[in-house]
Amino acid sequence: MANKRKEKSKDKNTVPLRVRIYHYRWFYFMFLPVFISILIFSYLPMFGIVYSFTEYTPFTKVPKFIGLENFKVLFEGKMFWRAFFNTLQISSVNLILSIVCSVGLALLVDEVSQVHFRKITQTIIYIPHFISWVVVAAIFTMVLSPKNGIVNAGIELFGGEPIYFLTSDKWWRPIFFIINRWKETGWGTIIFIAALAGVDMEQYEAARIDGAGHIQRIIYITLPSIAGTILVVFVLNLAKILNLFDSVWVLQNSMTTGVSDVIGTYVYRIGITSADYGLSTAAGLFKSVVSVVLVTMANKASKKIKGEGIL
Amino acid sequence: MEKAEKISFKSGHRARAVFLIFNYIFLSVLMLVMLIPLLKVFVDSIDPTTYGIRLIPKVIDLSAYKQIISSTNLYRPLLVSVFTTVSGTAVGLLLTTLAGYVIIQKKMPGRGIMVTFIFITMLFNGGLIPTYLTIKNLGLMNNFIAIIIPCSLSAYNIILMKSFFETIPSTLYEAASLDGCTPMKTFLKIVLPLSKPALASIGLFIAVGLWNEYMHFILYITDTRWQNFQVKVRDLILNDGISGTSITVSQDMLKNAVVVVVVFPFLMIYPFIQKYFTKGVTIGSVKG
Repeated sequence: MANKRKEKSKDKNTVPLRVRIYHYRWFYFMFLPVFISILIFSYLPMFGIVYSFTEYTPFTKVPKFIGLENFKVLFEGKMFWRAFFNTLQISSVNLILSIVCSVGLALLVDEVSQVHFRKITQTIIYIPHFISWVVVAAIFTMVLSPKNGIVNAGIELFGGEPIYFLTSDKWWRPIFFIINRWKETGWGTIIFIAALAGVDMEQYEAARIDGAGHIQRIIYITLPSIAGTILVVFVLNLAKILNLFDSVWVLQNSMTTGVSDVIGTYVYRIGITSADYGLSTAAGLFKSVVSVVLVTMANKASKKIKGEGIL
Repeated sequence: MEKAEKISFKSGHRARAVFLIFNYIFLSVLMLVMLIPLLKVFVDSIDPTTYGIRLIPKVIDLSAYKQIISSTNLYRPLLVSVFTTVSGTAVGLLLTTLAGYVIIQKKMPGRGIMVTFIFITMLFNGGLIPTYLTIKNLGLMNNFIAIIIPCSLSAYNIILMKSFFETIPSTLYEAASLDGCTPMKTFLKIVLPLSKPALASIGLFIAVGLWNEYMHFILYITDTRWQNFQVKVRDLILNDGISGTSITVSQDMLKNAVVVVVVFPFLMIYPFIQKYFTKGVTIGSVKG
């Protein structure tokens, strides 16, 4: 940083640094509240990572240094690995479904030439995104209720037995994926619809003259044109793959932890409910490190494929 | 694609026409699927007899809403939600615009450090427990500051705001400073008025985030009197009842009504702000 700065000031050599800083004094003053907020709420907690090398609970009072003991306990625990693999499975299925559904829906919306219908569609499919996970969970608890929910009433109407969707090991994940698609598919289309609007029209004309059918045009022109956007969205979401928490937390219950426990909920349970700060911080640190590695790899991949990174 | 192409059954166009008809029907069904859970909740909140698959209310019974209005138990959380959302959105927009405006000053010494300082928070954070213990050690438990600032300030929004500010021609800033405007005055009189679309969409994202906030309240607000509406909704749905209220209406109706009350404010402002956020999201997709 310092070297770069020196070179820069050489370029502008005439004005000394002190004068330039004085010239921008108001801007530093304006940045101060932002600086303090970020320092307190983002940087101070980073020092707390040392807790992962200590034994620390509200009862031990003072953190006691124990080296890598927490990590040993963590990696030997079955629960942690169950949470880890659940996170990977749930996130990756969710990620793939999300891209496929959003791109597909964006292609369909893009085909709509009727302005009003298109506007109404877009307005309505974006709505669920803005409803909180707590309320989404509340709505679907009622919709899927075996007692008088609309879905089970429908099943019974056709002579079926009511299904306990949210408390069944078998049904929890499929239902989780469906609820996620209900909430986020519409919102996911925004970026692809914008990308589709930017596709070069002349290419379509040329393809048409060459006798390409509609499906062929989608495969050979539309999809390659938005491939860059798809890649960026994919990579960004891949980087967040371990951060699964809110959605699982609100839909989870003690009957389904076997299939639904993820690192986020594991960290919460160990840290807040059982108050084992050391172990929980260790699990959180492991998650962060894997996430940073994923982001870096994703960025490299994006650089290789697209020629530019996402970061 | 061929936007002008009309539905027609002339030979050669048949497949396309069939596809378009299918497409319109599919999208209509999809919209219904999106809306039915919401509609069902609304109908069940005003008519206790519709449980099951009925979607049209027979009677209109507003007793659940009367119960909500008269029960102080739900009143307070609602007020807490309104307060944190309004103040948090104001604070969040202020900090986000300030940060965005400062880091577009290309020649400012230390700009690179500031950008890095903000950017690192996108990559790395302390994690749940260290953050929790920091807030606790700072004595910010049961303090709304512990909710308002972390929930309203995000590096992503700052980058978004910065990208938007960069679309304002720099000659405007120069003209303002030649006319003797201080940076603060330029910011208030020129930058902010020109940034209404960005302010609206980022403001909406911040407001929705705060209105929907749940985890921060669970973690940092231990005094149940200061919980927000989302926490109350969760309690109500999970615990099958609101403790301390004299229940006069059916629990199910009440649950549904509470969900309606929590979603309604958003649905009211949504149509007015919707036009802005597509722009907001697309700015974000451009590399910041």
